[in-house]
Amino acid sequence: MSESLTPNTNQSELESAIRSIGQRLAEAMPSGTRNPVKALDARAMELASGDRELRAALFRFVDVVPACRSLEDVARHLRGFLAELPEAPPSLSAALRVTDIRAARTALGAAAAAGVRHMAHRFIVGEDPAAAIRVLRGLWERGVASSVDLLGEATVTQDEADVYAARCAEALRHIHAQAGTWPARPVLEQDSSGSLPRTNVSVKISALTPLLRPDAPALGERDAAARLLPLLRTGQELGAHIHVDMESLDSREAVLELILELLSGQEFLHGPSVGMVLQAYLRDSPEQLETILSWARSTRRRPPLQIRLVKGAYWDHELVEARQQGWPAPVFERKADCDRNFEGLTRVLLDARPAVRVAVASHNLRSVSHAIAYNRLSGGQDQDLEIQVLRGLGDELQDALAANGFRVRTYCPVGDLVAGMAYLVRRLLENTSNESFLHEQASGRSLDELLAAP
Amino acid sequence: MTNLPPFVNEPVLELRRSAVRSRLAGALQALDSQLPFTVPVMIAGHQRTDPDFVSTDPGHPDSVVAQVAAAREAEVDEAVRTAARGVQSWSRVSAAERAQALLRAAAWLRERRLDLAALEVRECAKPWPEADADVCEAIDFLEYYARGAVELEGGRPLIQIPGERNDLRYFPRGVTAVISPWNFPLAIPCGMTSAALATGNSVVLKPAEQSPACALRLVQALRAGGVPEAVVSLVPGEGGAGSQLVRHPGVQTIAFTGSQAVGVEIMRSAAEVAPGQLHIKRVIAELGGKNCVIVDSDADLDDAVPGIVASAFNYAGQKCSAAARVLVHEAVADRLLERLGGATSLLVVGQAADLGTEVPPVIERSAQELVQRYVALGHQQGTIVGGIADVPTPGWFCAPTVVTDLPADSSLLRDEIFGPVLAVESVRSIEEACDIVDGLPVALTGGLYARDPATIRYVRERSPVGNLYINRGTTGAKVGRQPFGGNRLSGNGTKAGGPDYLLHFVEPRAVTENTVRHGLVV
Repeated sequence: MSESLTPNTNQSELESAIRSIGQRLAEAMPSGTRNPVKALDARAMELASGDRELRAALFRFVDVVPACRSLEDVARHLRGFLAELPEAPPSLSAALRVTDIRAARTALGAAAAAGVRHMAHRFIVGEDPAAAIRVLRGLWERGVASSVDLLGEATVTQDEADVYAARCAEALRHIHAQAGTWPARPVLEQDSSGSLPRTNVSVKISALTPLLRPDAPALGERDAAARLLPLLRTGQELGAHIHVDMESLDSREAVLELILELLSGQEFLHGPSVGMVLQAYLRDSPEQLETILSWARSTRRRPPLQIRLVKGAYWDHELVEARQQGWPAPVFERKADCDRNFEGLTRVLLDARPAVRVAVASHNLRSVSHAIAYNRLSGGQDQDLEIQVLRGLGDELQDALAANGFRVRTYCPVGDLVAGMAYLVRRLLENTSNESFLHEQASGRSLDELLAAP
Repeated sequence: MTNLPPFVNEPVLELRRSAVRSRLAGALQALDSQLPFTVPVMIAGHQRTDPDFVSTDPGHPDSVVAQVAAAREAEVDEAVRTAARGVQSWSRVSAAERAQALLRAAAWLRERRLDLAALEVRECAKPWPEADADVCEAIDFLEYYARGAVELEGGRPLIQIPGERNDLRYFPRGVTAVISPWNFPLAIPCGMTSAALATGNSVVLKPAEQSPACALRLVQALRAGGVPEAVVSLVPGEGGAGSQLVRHPGVQTIAFTGSQAVGVEIMRSAAEVAPGQLHIKRVIAELGGKNCVIVDSDADLDDAVPGIVASAFNYAGQKCSAAARVLVHEAVADRLLERLGGATSLLVVGQAADLGTEVPPVIERSAQELVQRYVALGHQQGTIVGGIADVPTPGWFCAPTVVTDLPADSSLLRDEIFGPVLAVESVRSIEEACDIVDGLPVALTGGLYARDPATIRYVRERSPVGNLYINRGTTGAKVGRQPFGGNRLSGNGTKAGGPDYLLHFVEPRAVTENTVRHGLVV
């Protein structure tokens, strides 16, 4: 691991810097009891974390709520899932007994649906950009930037792809129009490579085309290019940032080739600001990064491509698919290995500037502190590192970072409940997994333990 | 023999990796340079090659894949008599040794997997992922049944009482006629043949006339693995050889996968006991279906649409497990139809060799004509949803079609079309959907997209199908994980690739020995 450190940083210096930065951030994090609503959610999460069967039942319930046709239907599903538990918690057992009376069923259905909606709002900022803009502005005023992600159904037809592309274009324009009225926030608007756009929208290639096929990536690439091109032009026109998300391994080749191909052309040599994602949970992510960096160095595109480093959100899916097909697992199976890889990739990315811009996306205090510490120790400036968090999961870290003068950007999903379900279920899964940092933090492990090297 | 490692399904090619994909073109080229194959009649040491008929590439019908000798009546008779001789010694070989031969055959297939997949691409227009999966399934059958036979040799435990020793053991039945289809041209003949061989039987293989080269490769694999020549014969032909085998008094077991019409005729014919015949023939039949997918109002359409499209249209719907009908709850019927139509219009109709092709040409002209007739009927009787206007030519291409609003007595709802045609109907309740499924004379596979546990339980109880799939597609059964076979007129419950399949190929013998001598147990 030490071979990726620059000559003027050594391991123990780095570890000690990580500890002091981590401590600082931890002290700046607001405690949960200040917001009683948040405490309620935390309790629900705790319930779900402790009991695997309850967790499964709640997830399946959350997943089906949008497809329910009436409140009674909601109650029926809730009852069905909970009835399968060997032992439901007392509060839920009471709820089950209540469903024998029609009126009570409706009330339960309403309560359950409301509960799910409430949970969803923790993660989803609004039904559409117009509804979300208030939250985005509020974040900006508090010194937090945002990236808007448009949630939707899977795209399986050309019409659905067109609708999604139109929503992306509309989001770019709407946010841009509003963002112009926001007050100045130099920390969020400038780094050594130049200015940073206020308007930032994340797009999913799987929503831009129904033709993604794992064994024939060129099909989806061509089809998505036809819709991504106009979005890039809009980005160019407005001076907005377009971030291309990465999803499952099945589409990675198509997405990567699409980005590098489109940005290599004359038309987009000088803009717009574009970003992509590198997933640290993939075993071959170091090789992927090499490919991207050698492209970046040879193309010398300005503004530089932004790389958002994440752990990865499709871990279960990748493992299940690999196991069902008999393939070797493409992801690290142990959390520590993934975390270690994340830190290695962080260092390579930071060393590669200004060929690329770097965003480190994590709620893990250790991962974030490591990035900040290494950046400083290798002679970088705070303004040339962006930290990103997910709305609803990283809110406390977000505030601590902003309070300490770091640029932090919150990933803000926008969409209705139906659209948000897959997203919501994945976030709940992440949040209540025994291995999640947030779970460990909540379960009272010491700061020293939380900041230890993976 | 030491214990074999546990059975694991052969991993399919990871085609999402470009390094894996890049090997395919070379494999196809190498295969093409070997064409046309010569497929002989193979009976023990005797081989006769003659260009009696040919198999051709459905995507390029002028391109000959194999020149095939058609087995004559005398040769079929000779094959059965040779098999009867061969089984004398083969039945006395231990299960462990027979298993080793099968495992060596599996290794032979494994070493040539790209080449074999390429052959399926050419002879049966199987797109690469389908072709590769078929080769892997063939390997799986060999590995799975080898282990099963070793286990079966141990017999079954019986109640034991002092002074009495009871055992129940399984013996091979004798000569097995295997009559196999073209749509899984390696896996299905391999499954039936290897089950017979593993349990000590001999085999006379009569493959579909559309896929003789694939059958040849199977026989080569088995012989290379060490199965004696007399124990597995190849009698290619266009139909006559099959019925002759079925009627032959020297055949003890008939394993057949194919159409209901032929299957029922085989059962009728096999029921006759010829003079001098010393056994009742056993028929193992895997026939067709009219597979229904039920979609409830709380189904996740993001999953249901791609799942149904793949189940109905992959390999142009030429699978007995393919989805033929959708029974969708009226609350989501319009939305489902819209998305199904849209998704179907995007399917890639193309040559099997092109990665990305989802709907390759169907197997032959008569199949294409059949599909076209049903599609025309669909236009007349119902409403076509979405669709693809143009298909390539030459080649037996059919556009995938979704049709709705059919009258309840439409033959499109009853007949197995074996092509890319999907009928969608709206139902008022899951109960109604189950009533419809229950009213069918066939019961092969079924699908259910629903998220209420009570609904899932209900459908599980009511569905008569041999393979029910919940919240996933109805195709792609894996050996050991989804034992495959249908009920009612879809078959006599064979469950290939399952723990009970080998029992079809054996006869049980119970032996009781009195172990008391002069009042003492010795």
